[in-house]
Amino acid sequence: MRNKFKLLVAAAAVVALSLTGCAASGGGEADKPFKVIAFTSGNQTPVGAWWVKAVTAKAKELGWELTMIQGDFDFQKMNPAVESAIGQGADVIFDGYTDYASIGSIVTAAKDAGIPMFAMDSGVEPSDAFAINVTTDQQGIVDSTVEALSTELGGLEGKNIMVIGHDPHPGIRERAGLAEEAFKAAGANIAGGEIQKVQSPATGRTEALALVADYLAANPNGLDAVWVGWDDAALGASKGLAEAGSTAKVTGVDATSEAIAEIQAGGNFLATIEQPWPAILDTLIGYILTYQKDGSLPSTNFETVGTTLVDKVNAAKITPSDKL
Amino acid sequence: MMKLNEVRVTGSSIGRFFLQGGTVLALIALIVFFFAMRPDIFLTFVNVKNIMYQVSILAVIAAAQTVVMVLGDFDLSVGATSSLAGAVAGAQMLGGVPVWIAISVALAVGLAVGLINGVLVAYLNLSAFVATLATMTSVVGMAFIVTEGTTLFNFPAEFNELGQGKLLNVPLPVYIAILVSIFVWALLRFTTIGRSWHAIGGNVEVSRLSGVKVRRARLLAFTVAGVIAALGGILLAARLGSASAVQGSDNTLLSVAAVFLGMTVIKSGMSNLGGTMVGVGIIGVMSNGLNILGVNAYVQQVVTGAIIILAVTLSGLKARER
Repeated sequence: MRNKFKLLVAAAAVVALSLTGCAASGGGEADKPFKVIAFTSGNQTPVGAWWVKAVTAKAKELGWELTMIQGDFDFQKMNPAVESAIGQGADVIFDGYTDYASIGSIVTAAKDAGIPMFAMDSGVEPSDAFAINVTTDQQGIVDSTVEALSTELGGLEGKNIMVIGHDPHPGIRERAGLAEEAFKAAGANIAGGEIQKVQSPATGRTEALALVADYLAANPNGLDAVWVGWDDAALGASKGLAEAGSTAKVTGVDATSEAIAEIQAGGNFLATIEQPWPAILDTLIGYILTYQKDGSLPSTNFETVGTTLVDKVNAAKITPSDKL
Repeated sequence: MMKLNEVRVTGSSIGRFFLQGGTVLALIALIVFFFAMRPDIFLTFVNVKNIMYQVSILAVIAAAQTVVMVLGDFDLSVGATSSLAGAVAGAQMLGGVPVWIAISVALAVGLAVGLINGVLVAYLNLSAFVATLATMTSVVGMAFIVTEGTTLFNFPAEFNELGQGKLLNVPLPVYIAILVSIFVWALLRFTTIGRSWHAIGGNVEVSRLSGVKVRRARLLAFTVAGVIAALGGILLAARLGSASAVQGSDNTLLSVAAVFLGMTVIKSGMSNLGGTMVGVGIIGVMSNGLNILGVNAYVQQVVTGAIIILAVTLSGLKARER
């Protein structure tokens, strides 16, 4: 009788231990929902707003317990909110469109809590802050836009090209720098001698318009092309050229519906870039699911994805980034 | 509440002359400087038209700010109100509403924001700074709701014509800015309400004792400012052919700067429309001239800030003279 009781206790212990082992093998516990903290500072941009909706829908579909924090570009508000959520425990942190340079305190809190952070377009170079950051290939963006301008202008040698950037945005800063290098290497002249810098994305369109209008007032017919790091400012540059009667061409990045419409209209706006955000999100969700399943993290912490040049030929087939 | 206009300059001296005419002299000096640097470009018709086009919308919003600052108040919501008005007009038109109805609705939105500001300041005795800061925050949020965070575009051609059309090769917004300036100047100078605003700006208690209905006058000032700011936003949307929640957000700070710059122009040191337009001219000439000279945008921002500090300092010096 005593032996039978011992056997029963031993069997129960084995079953309990094996159940515990199963639960500990993944990122979450079997009897608890998988907890994800998602945050973005860019929720007021069209793509940021899409990301919030898309991640919320995915979390619902996958049964995750999601805490979504929207920062409105206010890091003083967002960072403590994310840190507070980390303090309450989570299995994974998901950063959308927020550069790691702006979230140092979140990175520290996540590391202290041992929670891996997955990121989407949160910097343009590898960083230990993330288990992985998937973003678009900045060099690829530059290569295709520069090539489009070169084809349109019949080569870049001796052409006057204005490059418009915005330093606080790491992606725009990176690609504007790469574009300047590419144009110089191709023998083009950089209008104004350096990258023209827009101060605020909110007023990017009017700032770019003024930059182009003033430059053309001082240098009539002085531009062959304007390369701009994002569509909103590119639309301002395009308007500045049209108002001055210039036939110079403009390229942007983002593939907004307004930019696509301009490209289709056949004016100054030559091309833009589609960045495959839905596919990137799917890739990241895949990485998170793998972690949830067996606790394994991606083998690299930085991954870039190719983009698509949008010109008059394929513009009608592209889904605009503000209509995702 | 900050008093902006308790000043009167007496006597004469070279120092006082420079103090008195500093802003106008600064505008002349800037024009001479940029003309000397680029004589082939700066004062050409194309570039002067370019400058006027670039500052026309700021001029409208600065006129709105002038009305409020005559009373010794601020309106920090003018930029946000203009963005909301542009967004509302755009959303209406995209929904199939005729252009002039959409514009009327947008102006009504500006009127409503102005009324709220006026009630908060005049009847609930909130400081203008706090009240308009709060409404600015809410209004920006509303603009995001209206635009759904995107940029609205594809407006009817007749609407875009308002901001992009030309008469005698001069863009329409320039004419509209001139008309608004004349309207505000006449309102401030020749009407009873304009005189009441000046009186309140000079001394609230004396005005009250003199029979001026201070609360109603203050409510009206904010309401007028709201409508004019909305007009500025509609013009900006028409000029760009698009509307977003934050476009033109720099106009709040620049309009305050323009009014401060203009306060040094007249003898009394009060906010005045003519002075404000000189201030707008300085901002426009400086931005255009520095762009033409290829000066880095960040340096331009530093210079703009320095000019504002100089203007406020000049206003302070004049106030001390009294």
